[in-house]
Amino acid sequence: MFSLESLTTLVQDWLNKTFPPTWALLIEFVIVGILAIALFAALGLVLVIMERKVAAWIQIRLGPNRVGPLGILQSTADTIKLIMKEGLTPDGADKFLFNLAPFIVMIVSMLILAPIGFAKGFHIWDINIGVLYVSAISSVSVIGILMAGWASNNKYSLLGAMRSGAQMVSYELSVGLSVLSIIVLTGSLNINDIVLSQQNGWWLFKAHIPAIISFVIFIIAITAETNRAPFDLSEAESELTAGFHTEYSGMKFALFFLSEYINIFIVCAIGATLFLGGWMPFHIGNWESFNHIMDYIPSFIWFFGKTFFMIFLIMWFRWTFPRLRVDQLLNLEWKYLLPISMVNLIVMTLVAIKGWHF
Amino acid sequence: MFIVDYVKDVYGAMKSLLVGMNRTGYYFTHHKEIITEEYPDNRETLVLPERFRGEVVMAHDENNEHACTGCSACELACPNGTIKIINKFDISPEGKKKKAIDTFVYHLELCTMCGLCVEACPTAAINMANTFEHSVFNRGQLTKRLNKPDSKLKAGVE
Amino acid sequence: MSPATIIFYIISAFILVTGLLAVTTRKIFRASIWLLFSLIGIAALYFWMQLEFLAAVQIIVYVGGIVVLIIFSIFLTIKSGEEMPKPILIRSIFSALAVLFGTGFVVRIISLYTFKPISTTAFNLSVNQIGTQMLDTKDFGYLLPFELISILLLAAMIGCIVIALKSNDKEATTFQNSIQ
Repeated sequence: MFSLESLTTLVQDWLNKTFPPTWALLIEFVIVGILAIALFAALGLVLVIMERKVAAWIQIRLGPNRVGPLGILQSTADTIKLIMKEGLTPDGADKFLFNLAPFIVMIVSMLILAPIGFAKGFHIWDINIGVLYVSAISSVSVIGILMAGWASNNKYSLLGAMRSGAQMVSYELSVGLSVLSIIVLTGSLNINDIVLSQQNGWWLFKAHIPAIISFVIFIIAITAETNRAPFDLSEAESELTAGFHTEYSGMKFALFFLSEYINIFIVCAIGATLFLGGWMPFHIGNWESFNHIMDYIPSFIWFFGKTFFMIFLIMWFRWTFPRLRVDQLLNLEWKYLLPISMVNLIVMTLVAIKGWHF
Repeated sequence: MFIVDYVKDVYGAMKSLLVGMNRTGYYFTHHKEIITEEYPDNRETLVLPERFRGEVVMAHDENNEHACTGCSACELACPNGTIKIINKFDISPEGKKKKAIDTFVYHLELCTMCGLCVEACPTAAINMANTFEHSVFNRGQLTKRLNKPDSKLKAGVE
Repeated sequence: MSPATIIFYIISAFILVTGLLAVTTRKIFRASIWLLFSLIGIAALYFWMQLEFLAAVQIIVYVGGIVVLIIFSIFLTIKSGEEMPKPILIRSIFSALAVLFGTGFVVRIISLYTFKPISTTAFNLSVNQIGTQMLDTKDFGYLLPFELISILLLAAMIGCIVIALKSNDKEATTFQNSIQ
């Protein structure tokens, strides 16, 4: 059966045979970099057209339908347009930081990609603190947004950046606690171990109601952390024109736009790994024959299917719910999500200690 | 009790969010409800609502007769001077002078399609048509004469 | 020179250059950004030593927490975009002297220290071990410092609540009167 693991080992062996180890490693870096950039470009195009189609169908419209069959080439055309545009830098802006900010945001998104397991034995960096690494690096992306907002020398941008910073810093807590409640069950931060622990069923089903509660909290908190509606206060079109990226144009704007979608993909991938078993096929306990049939579907299809399911959920939220006010946003976090997730974490610990999960 | 209120709050919030998602999920899966008109492609089959207001027209019957008496009520009713009525005096068979319409000038470029002229008309001579493709290359083409040449007032309309 | 050494020197140069820029730039926001890069460089050094847990904690605490806090407080000050005035001469002389003596002190200590080659093999701590060690009461356990730090955090939190608490009007006016 075709598997990506054999492909990677093949390339690794060949490189190690023909080159000295350092050069082999460097060549692998380059290959991984090219693949990551290709994945980013492909994801950006797919997610933007998916967002627009989902939005249209939810709002009883047709959506883009002119460029290509069913409009699927619309985002490609938009990208070409953005590349052709002039990248303006405003006169009063801090030029260095203004031009640095989109790259910081983009680099952070790229770094988070490292520990994610795309398929069985197919990940960039099998680091033993995978989930902690993701939450650590993702906290850096706040800096990029704050930098963009400040360097633009624009009141709207600064307001948007401050809102976004406050929002991301406070919702990180809920994300962390709901992630922890799964870590309690697996006892490991390594993404591979987390996936392997779900061999006889996904944690969402194995750990009863506490897992479902933490899943709901997780999905609310990641929606807020990626600054998407209904939590898109930092770029609220009607209040702040576009928030922190008001002054950006051309490809620099495109980098912000792309990194937003990449971040969505990554947090959804983490959610899919923790709650829905990552690349692990759908297994039910000891039903050997059923599990065997499920194994025939390649693992990367499982991974991308689950991730896109999560992304669809988040898009569904975006086009259903109205935007929150700032005070409501902070109330929701500090008065509801945080206490509930703390109590839930204690319950989950009890479940893990007593072994009440399947 | 605080805790009871809190739980009720959370329950109510989740329930109302799910109701909203149910609605949008219904629309997402039911593509028959899509209301977008693919206009230039479906030009032949396009069905416009009966009360759609495209432009003011004057109805003429098969004898080239209309119902406009030239009372200029529409001209007075028009809020932005779209209609200009030029009258003439016909000599009736009895030798009496009678006011009649010479030219009903309608400036489509000024019209806001409010329909006040149609409401003001005492004889229902004018009405709103469904046409909406008004683009022309010359502004002069938008100034229209609504009564056809050589048309007469319908008998019996005062 | 092995590639690992080259990487070490690159990272060290990055930390030193950004640290120098952080103290010499005259725009306060840029200073915080250079500080951020310097701290990220230190995290990179931890990654280079394969202490992933420590590196992640370094990024969470310093980059995600402290630098964000610094940036927020800069946003709230006026004139955050303008250049600061040049320091007066005496101040720069004294700071140069401080740097000189500090460097001399550190160099002296390093030269006196006899570096022993590490005999133990590379250690790879799992999160399990770190967690157990952190809450251990036996030898080399960190329960007491851990609890002390949590008391410190509790005190800080109570302080925040007291500051943010709405005082009722009567007290506020008496307070104001006493100031006047």
